[in-house]
Formats: sequence, structure tokens, C-alpha cells
Amino acid sequence: MVPPLLQVRGVTRRFAGLVAVNAIDLDVAEGELVSVIGPNGAGKSTLFNLISGLDRPNVGTVHFAGQDVTGLRPERLAALGLARTFQHGRVFGNLSVIDNVLVGAHVRLRCVRPAVPLLGPLIELGLAAWRPAAVRAEEQSLRADAEAILALFGDRLLPRRDQPAYSLSYANRRRLEIARALALHPRLLLMDEPTAGMNESETAEMQVLIGRLKASGQTLLLIEHKLEMVMRLSDRVLAMDDGQRIAEGLPGRVRNDPAVIEAYLGHHALGSAEPVA
Amino acid sequence: MMINQLAFGPWLDYTVNGLIIGNIYALLAVGLALIFGVANLINFAHGSVYTVGAYLGWASITYLHTPLPVTLVIVITGSALLGVAIERVGLRALHGSSRIAPLLATIGISLVLDQLVQLFCSPDPRALASQLPDLRIQIGRGTIGTLDLLIAGVGLVSATGLYGFLRYTKLGWAVRATAQDQDAARQMGVDTDRVNVTVFAIASALGGVSGLLVGMYYNSIDPNMSFDATLKGVVAMMIGGLGNVPGALGGGLLLGLTESYGIALFGSSYRNLFAFALLILILVAAPNGLFGRRRDLPPEPMTGTFIARSRPLRLPRALVAGVVLAAALLPLLPAPYLLQTLTTALLSALLALSLTLVAGTVGQISLGHAALLAIGGYASGLLALDCGLPFVWSVPLAGVITALLGTLLVFPALRMQGHYVSIATLGIGEIVTLVILNWTGLTQGAMGLTGIPAPAIGGIELTSVRSVYWLVLVLVVAIALLQTRLLSGHLGRTWRAIREDEVAARSYGVAANRYKALAFGFGAFGAGVGGAITAHLYSYIDYRTFDTTLSILALTMVILGGLGNVAGAVLGSVLLVSLPELFRAAAEYRMLAYGLVLLVLIRYRPQGLLGTV
Amino acid sequence: MVSRRQFIVMGAAASSAALFRRPTALRAADATITIGVSGPQTGPNAQHGAQWVAAFDLAIEQIAAQGGPHLRYVFEDSQSEPRQSVSIAQKFVNDPDIAIEVGDFSSTASMAASPIYQRGKLVQFGMTNSHPDFTKGGDYMWSSSISQAEEQPNLADFAVNGLGLKKLAVLHLNTDWGNTSKTLFVQAAQALGAEIVAVEGFLPAERDFRSTLVRIRDTNPTGLILEAYYADAAVIARQVHDLGLKQPIAAVSSVYSPKFIELGGDAVNGIYTQSNFFPDDPRPEVQAFVRAFQTRYGRQPDGFNATAYDTFILIGELVRQFGGTREAIRDGLTKIKNVPSVVYGKISFDPDTRRVAGARYERLLVKDSQFTLWDGSRPAI
Ligand SMILES: Nc1ncnc2c1ncn2[C@@H]1O[C@H](COP(=O)(O)OP(=O)(O)OP(=O)(O)O)[C@@H](O)[C@H]1O
Ligand SMILES: [Mg+2]
Repeated sequence: MVPPLLQVRGVTRRFAGLVAVNAIDLDVAEGELVSVIGPNGAGKSTLFNLISGLDRPNVGTVHFAGQDVTGLRPERLAALGLARTFQHGRVFGNLSVIDNVLVGAHVRLRCVRPAVPLLGPLIELGLAAWRPAAVRAEEQSLRADAEAILALFGDRLLPRRDQPAYSLSYANRRRLEIARALALHPRLLLMDEPTAGMNESETAEMQVLIGRLKASGQTLLLIEHKLEMVMRLSDRVLAMDDGQRIAEGLPGRVRNDPAVIEAYLGHHALGSAEPVA
Repeated sequence: MMINQLAFGPWLDYTVNGLIIGNIYALLAVGLALIFGVANLINFAHGSVYTVGAYLGWASITYLHTPLPVTLVIVITGSALLGVAIERVGLRALHGSSRIAPLLATIGISLVLDQLVQLFCSPDPRALASQLPDLRIQIGRGTIGTLDLLIAGVGLVSATGLYGFLRYTKLGWAVRATAQDQDAARQMGVDTDRVNVTVFAIASALGGVSGLLVGMYYNSIDPNMSFDATLKGVVAMMIGGLGNVPGALGGGLLLGLTESYGIALFGSSYRNLFAFALLILILVAAPNGLFGRRRDLPPEPMTGTFIARSRPLRLPRALVAGVVLAAALLPLLPAPYLLQTLTTALLSALLALSLTLVAGTVGQISLGHAALLAIGGYASGLLALDCGLPFVWSVPLAGVITALLGTLLVFPALRMQGHYVSIATLGIGEIVTLVILNWTGLTQGAMGLTGIPAPAIGGIELTSVRSVYWLVLVLVVAIALLQTRLLSGHLGRTWRAIREDEVAARSYGVAANRYKALAFGFGAFGAGVGGAITAHLYSYIDYRTFDTTLSILALTMVILGGLGNVAGAVLGSVLLVSLPELFRAAAEYRMLAYGLVLLVLIRYRPQGLLGTV
Repeated sequence: MVSRRQFIVMGAAASSAALFRRPTALRAADATITIGVSGPQTGPNAQHGAQWVAAFDLAIEQIAAQGGPHLRYVFEDSQSEPRQSVSIAQKFVNDPDIAIEVGDFSSTASMAASPIYQRGKLVQFGMTNSHPDFTKGGDYMWSSSISQAEEQPNLADFAVNGLGLKKLAVLHLNTDWGNTSKTLFVQAAQALGAEIVAVEGFLPAERDFRSTLVRIRDTNPTGLILEAYYADAAVIARQVHDLGLKQPIAAVSSVYSPKFIELGGDAVNGIYTQSNFFPDDPRPEVQAFVRAFQTRYGRQPDGFNATAYDTFILIGELVRQFGGTREAIRDGLTKIKNVPSVVYGKISFDPDTRRVAGARYERLLVKDSQFTLWDGSRPAI
């Protein structure tokens, strides 16, 4: 049997006086869309940090693409094809829209970043100054690709390609965040609440986009509070509360799981459009 | 007593001495920590408030013949009012602009205050006699006096008092809320302006009292005591943990002890080497300070970064080309003094270009950048003097050596963030200076390098002001063009992404350390070449030729021109080198005028003249 | 004060106009001779600039009163930084009114500007530049700074033979000046048979010497030697006192200043030092200087005042004898003999080293917060 693309086994992360993530197992197979749900503070974002290398688990392992990546630095994970978006949006404010997307494509720079040990950085500096034809061609093709990615969002981003990101509306910044992640051509894309702060029509638009991504074969791991959307898109759902897994399986089963209902009622109403900040 | 002596020998004395000086550092660090905790700001004006406090006390004793309690009240009131004025007039208007603007403003305020003290009270040191009965207690073979105890007492009482105030009073709670998140606190109904003013008043009162007590301790005060006070205070605060008030107390004592033991083991010219080595060690090993609680991953930022949001001015190419052409034709005018001044400005521009890349583009605010000039200058000077290498070889080689050594030295700072980078680079810069001073075998130590040959190309000495000016102009233009080219490619966006959000950049595969090192290396090359040429022009350099004040000057140049802005760095250098020259007619008022102009600029254009790129 | 400010304003206006003016020959008889001064008026060494100004004003007045040439000076503030001293040098070199340059204060600033003065053929008179290589910058570099090669053997003789101190610890400022002084002292003292048990250098901004002193104490010296300026020396003396060290202290002449006593308080009583002049010295040049200084400023002059005063008297004499052009002044320096001087008695230059030999020394003891002539008695050890 082919091992799943992402395999999380028993990861635990403790902060002073609290266990944010407690012995979580999670598999995501190639082409799958898995969602993580749970009330505020359940540990979802922390789990993402553990997977994407921003934080290290106290216990447990993470395998990605058949390789043990536990505690690997985030830049290495990105190079392996793992991209993520951030819950609160971390676009590069003073960079133009197109440059934001191009930074997302950083790991795809090959010509200008030769994998030479020790002297690599110096050669990179030289190539960046000299810019031989191959380097220019690579930059051109990345730029064309970045524009194609921006075009996925209709005329939301493309006409603003040269504006600084801080001048974008909130929703557009969320979109730019996703565009940047797509530019990495990720094997696995982690999205932390892509629709947070969006109104209904914007959410619907995002849902269409994610659906198209899934249809194109993109593997996705999604954190989302809007259960409507989760139920419609997900192949499988993991529900967490207080760092622990409380249910897992097909969307319909998880939704009706008493533990899940209890967890959400304990915190706030199930399926409400806005998470409580 | 005898047994005591046999058991501990002189170590008891070293310990007591370390604690005595550590006391003083602690007192300074507590004030700095308080302000940092709330305003997220290293207050470079703290040392100046300390100086003003000392002079207030001196004036009140000399002219009003006040007894100690009254003197203290006057100093506390005066310094607190000064703190309020600094916050109200100098800093409040900058709230909401980039975080770097207030830092620069405190440097400007410090300059202005020091100059005012000097103008009103003369630059000569004054005696400030202690008003306490000088009872001395024998400890070990040395003695400690009532003042030592009073200083320790003030430190301890103020630190515990502040701790209690922050913990248990309503205003203290508001202060802590503000410290966590100014905007959130305001939304919760905390009057953050009031909190800021209160904190500045308390911290400044403490600073003023420190100045008074320390002045009495040494029986000597002078207008230049502020810089060193700030420097040691900042180091002590850093050791205790940024913004950690009780930690500052421990940091001060530990710093004092380290210096004292360092002297015991290696002699007094190594004292600061130990202080700064301890600083770097702590920054690397325990970045939150020895007494700080471990904070894991920094929380996700809601908005905003270190750098101001700005749209840089787009300079038309024709204009830039025109200015360069005019600059190239300038030597045709018979104005050697102007050319000499501009040569100095262009040499500074080499440093500023380097710093604008590192601090502006990559966001690593370096406070020790002048050390690169020193490395370049010494490298080229020694290559010329000891190996007989001609100018055309020694200068580029010095650039390469500076690039390698500079990058190696900042290595510990690469993994740090924000203020930690600034303080670490400050420390690294000091270490370079101190190594130059103490490595007598290589550098001639305090004697400096003499007889460095004049610049010469192909056997022809460049002795005229004109030829040197052209040489430096060509270099500046070349490096500026190269830097612009790099910035327009993938390196530019990668560097700026690191500045904007290092965590996000790394998550997209940017190996932050590699790119920071690249920027440092490239920048260090230019700065090293600048230092090398300077050495050949001066024919003599010593460890004071390129000192910390130059690092700070370079930073003001860069911020004035616009962080990351290549043309801005050159403009900033030309302005900041020529402004003091223009103010020459003002004689003693010259630096005051300079400081005021700087403050006005920061106030009305915090993103710099040409804008942050 | 007012007159000085006028000087400066006049000077600034003149020199900016001079940028575009053709040089004109100057003759001593009918013109005012302009001296360019490069030195610190702001920054960490500003007090020394202020000391110079006091002495300059006094000297100019006295020279004029005696019918000598009219001198004036343009003081350009360098903060004693090389970056600024080189611009000032260029400014002076290109200002045809400037006949001679005086300064800068530190060797760092002076020696960086030397190549410009040398090429511009303008005498750079570094009156405080004791760095042994300063006058090697070229034949336009001259100095009347007290040669440490002379002072230190004198101090060593005072300490070893005069005071009978045989085991010495040396505490010195770690700059070119302090370092040279220390090396020369150690050589001289060892030649006289003394043992040097400790040598400690300290940084310019240092204030805390307790641990350094403990380190010195534990080498059991019988005497302490201070190579420091008065402000540092006073702070050191107080901490010696606090640590209960009882050894006699002998200090270099740079501590000779009323400020030393003011800053040191009781702790400086019993310190031995030497000075190039002493107010009670009956020599007429000393009496004229000390009295005039007292009358004008209401305080006693110190060594820095004396050096600056001497320099202007010397320049006045140069102009009177040889004329006020740059070349005349330079040639005059090689020839001039026996100019009356507070510090030296009589100034003459060695044309090869371009320095002055033969500074006079009075041996002094601080007693009851006063500098007094040493009566020849040895301290109890
Ligand atoms: N760096 C940290 N240090 C200490 N505690 C942390 C840290 N990061 C997260 N926590 C805590 O861990 C718990 C889980 O947080 P996490 O952000 O993972 O929740 P979440 O499920 O993403 O919630 P939300 O839906 O609000 O985003 C919370 O109680 C949080 O306060
Ligand atoms: Mg979350």
C-alpha cells in the first residue's frame, strides 16, 4: 500500500501549564481534502505549526512524502512541497502583490540558486547581479505562472498586481495569502481558516475556488469554522477539543457525533458563520 | 578577618567591587526596562536624563544649598518632568509610525539634551560632593560607604516598588495591558497616553536620581557621561531580559560581577570585552534574558511590522543621471573644501549603502556597523604596511576580508529578531574595537597604524582632493548601481520578505540565515572598501577612528534617507555630513542645531526623505 | 566671550568668501594674522577646546598690548573626530588668510589631517599631539607638546630616587598618549633599578577602578604611578582611598589642574606630581601669565591653558621676527630661538624632530588641598 502523503503520529505539544495538542494522529492521502475542526483554542493552529515546522512537538512524529520530517526547519519542509497559509494573514505588507506571489515560488527557483555547497550563496549573488539568459528565462516563466495564479481570483488581484499588499482589502489579503501558497506548487497545502472574516458571498467564492483546487488534484488540509463548507468539501474530518481528537471520519458522521456537538455547544453554537475571536 | 582573607583571598574584594558597580548598572537598567516594557523602545535618551538629573542636583546644592532630601525631591521632580516632556513632545506624535522612528527620536533627544547641558554648565567636569556622612564599613580588605548602600537601597526599593506597582495597582495593570498590546489596551478603555506619560515620568525620575547618586559616588559629573551610562544600562537590561524590571536588577549585578572578575583575571583593558562577550553569550543562549520566562513561538502578528508603510518617491532616471553628472563635474569648480566634505560624505555613503541594505532591506537594524570600516581600514593598512601590497590590491582585498570576517562575526545575530539584533550588533561592534585595542601584536593597540601610504593607482599617487573625490564617487556609483540591480531581482524581494515577516518567509522556503548572511557579506564588502580608502586617506587610524558614534550616525543617515532606499542612503550621508559643516558658524551651538533638525525630520517624515523601499 | 564670538563669525564669513578668492600676499606689519584652530568645542573633549580659547584670548590681548602683531583665530569645531578634522584641514589650506594651523586635540584627529596640511604647505602645529609619529607626518608638522621621552624619565627619577619607591605599579590611560607615557616610564624606572610589578591600561570613559586597584594591590607595590588626565586621576585617587590603599602616588604632570583638587577632594592630598609651571615660580613669563589669567578669569590656569598660551605667544614672535606668510612661519620655526615660555622657560625647536626639548619641571605635593612645592622629604612606606 502507498503510504499517505502526510502521516502524523501521536504528536503532543505542551505549553506552560497546558497541553495544546495531545497525542494526535492524522493521515492525509494524495489528492484528499481533510478538514480539522474544533472550537477556539482547540489546538488546530498549533497542530499546523507542528506539521509545517514552525514548532516542534514534544512527543510524536510527522512523516511527509515518505520522509521523517519531525522538527525539520520550515524552509526545508517548503522545499519538500509543503505550503501553508496563516490564520491571521501574514502577507508581506510592503511588497507588491506580484512579489508576494513570487516569494511563494522561491523554492522553484533553480537556475539562480544552484545547489553548490558552501559557494552556493556567492554564486547566487553573482547570478543575481549578472543575470544570464537562463536566469532571466526562469524569472519570466515564474512571473507568467504567478500571473496565472492571480488570475484564478478573477479580477480581485490581477489588476492590483503592482500595488503594495498593505493597500489591499482584508479579503484580498486572504486571497493573496492563498495565491502565494499556490505559487509553491505544493504537494500538500495547509489552509488555516481561509474564510475568516469574509462575508457570505466572499465565502462562497472561496468555496468554489477550493473546490476547483481539489478537483485539479491538489491535496489539502483545511482548518475551518464554517461547517457548511467543511461538510461539502471534505473527504474526511478531524474534530479536536482541548488538544485531543474527539472524532474522526466522514463529514456526516463527525457532524452528528455527540462529542462534537457537546464540544461546540460548550463553547458556542454549531456552524455559526463567525468564530468568536 | 584573617581567616576570611585566607579563605577567599582577593575574590571577596572583587565580588564586593563587582556588586558596587553592578548596583549602578542595575539602577540604570531598571529605568530602561520599565520604558522598554511599555513602549517597546530602547530609550537612548535615558543616559541623558541621568546626566540632567546629576546636573540638577549639582545646581540645587551649589546655588540653593539644599540638604539631601530636598535635593532628591528637586531631582526627582525635575527629571520626571523631563520624562514627561520627552514623551509628550518628542515621542507621542510618532505613535503609529514605524517602530524605528521613536528609537531614532530618542537618539536625537539625547543629542539635544547633552548639548544643552554642555552649553549651560560648561563641558568641564564638576565636583558633586556627597551629602551623606561618609561612614565606611570594612569588608574584606576594602571598604564600602554609605553611598554604596544608598545606591543599592534605591535600586532594590525601586525594583521591588515597581514590581508591586505593576502587579497590584490599577494603573500598574493598565501599564501591563499597554505593554502587551497598545491598540488592544486602548480599545479596552485604557488611557494609553496617560500610561506612557506615567511610565516615562517614573523611569526618568529614577534615571535622574541615578545620575545624582552616581555623580556623588565619583564626586564628578560631566556632560559626556550619558552615552556610557546608556550603553551599560542597555547591556544590563538585556542580560536580565528585555523589559523585565526585576530581571534588570539581576542583570546589572551580574554585569558588574563579570567585569570585576574579568579584570581580576585579565586586567582592566579587557573589562568591556568581558561585558560584551557576556551580552552576546546571553543573547545566543538565553535570548529572553537570564531571568525571563521562556516564550515559545512568537504569536502571529495581527498587523504592522518594524518598517513604516510607505510609497517611496520614484526618482526619474534622468534626474539621478543628472545629479551624478553634476557630481562628476563638480571638481571643475575651484572648491576644494566642498570637495573634501563631499569626499567624507561619499565615504560615509559606502557605510550607509551597506547599512541600508542590512537594516532597511533585510530589517536587521545594526548598531555596530562602523566596526566594518575598522576591519576594512585595518586590513588594508596592515596589508600595505606589513606586506607592501599596493593600494589597488590592498583595498579590494580588505573588502573581501571584511565581507568574510564581518559575516562570521554577525553569525550569532542572524537568528535573532528585532531589538535583539540591534543590541547584539552593538556588542559585536564594541568587541571588534576592543580586540583592535588589545591585540597589540597585530594592530599596534592604542598607538594605531601610522604611515599608511596615500592612495595610488599605477604608481601615481592620488593626492589632489579632486582625484580622491572622483575615485570615491566612482565607487559609490558602482556599488549603488549594483545594489539597485540586486534589489530589482529575486534577491530584493527575498530580502524584503524576510524583513516583512521572517516566519512567513521561512514557511515559503526562504532560508533566512543564508539571505541575511548574503546581505551582510555584500554590504560588508562595500563598507570594508570604504574603511580601507579612509585609512589610506588619513594615513593614520586607531581604535577610535571608527567608533560607535559613527555607527549611530550611519543609522541616522539611513533612516533619514529612507530605509532600504539606495539613493536615500547617499542623500542621507551627504546631508548629515554637510549639515554640521553648514552649521559651523554656530560654533558651540552647532550640534544642538543638528540635533533639532534631526528631530524635526523624524517628526514630519518618519519614513525618511525618499521613503522606505 | 563676546570678542571671541565675533572672531568666529568673522572667521566663518571670511573663509567662505575665501573659497573663490585669489590668494593675496600678507605682510606682517599692516595685516592681522589669522590662525586656524582645529579642536573640540562640542563632544567628549569640549572642555579642552574651552581651555584653549581662554588662553588664546589672553595671549592675543597681551601680544597686542605689547605692540606685537595683531593675531586673530578661527576656531573650527572638529569634536576631535578625524572625519571633521580633514574637512577643516582642507578649508584652512584653501583659505589664503590662514597663516598657520593649531591643533587638533587628539592624535586620531590630527594625524588624519596631516597629509592635507603637508600637501597644502600649511604648518600644522599640534601643540598637544604627543604621539611619537606625529611630526613624522612631514616637515610641516610641528609640535611643542611636552615630549614624554623627557617627562617620563623625570617622573621616574622623582618616584625612584626622589621618593624612594622601588616597587611600582603603573595605571595608564589606554590611548596613544597614555601608552607612550607608560612605556617610557617603565623603561626609565627599570633603568633606575626599580621593579615594575603591575601595568594596567584603562579606557577613556572608565569610571570604576576598584577591581583594577585590587589587582594592583595584590602585587604589593610600594608606590603607584598614574599616567592619566586630571579628571580620571581624581576618580582613581578617590577609589584608592576607599579601598584603603596606603601607597604613595606619583602622577604625570597632566593632573596639574585646579580641577584635580576640586574633583578629588581629600583623597588627592598626599599625591606627588610635577608641573611645567607653578604659580609661585618667580620667572617673569610665569608670573605674567598666572596673574593675567587670574585677573581675567578668576581662577588658576592649568597645564592645558599654559600650553595654549605658549603657542600663541610663539606664533606672535614668529610673525614679528619672520613675517606672517605661511612660508615665513615655516622657515621661522626652523630658526627661532629662545622664545619665552611658561612651560619650557625658553622654546627652541630641533629642526630634525620638529619638537621642543627642555621642558621645566617643578616637583609638587598636594597638601591641604593645595599644590605645594615638594620639600624633598620622602613618604613613609
Ligand atoms: N506560543 C504559545 N505559547 C503558549 N500557549 C500557546 C501558544 N500558542 C498557542 N497557545 C495556546 O494553545 C492553545 C491552542 O491554541 P491554537 O491557536 O492552536 O488554537 P486554535 O484551535 O487554532 O484556535 P482558534 O480557532 O481560535 O484559532 C490555546 O489555549 C493557546 O492559548
Ligand atoms: Mg487557530
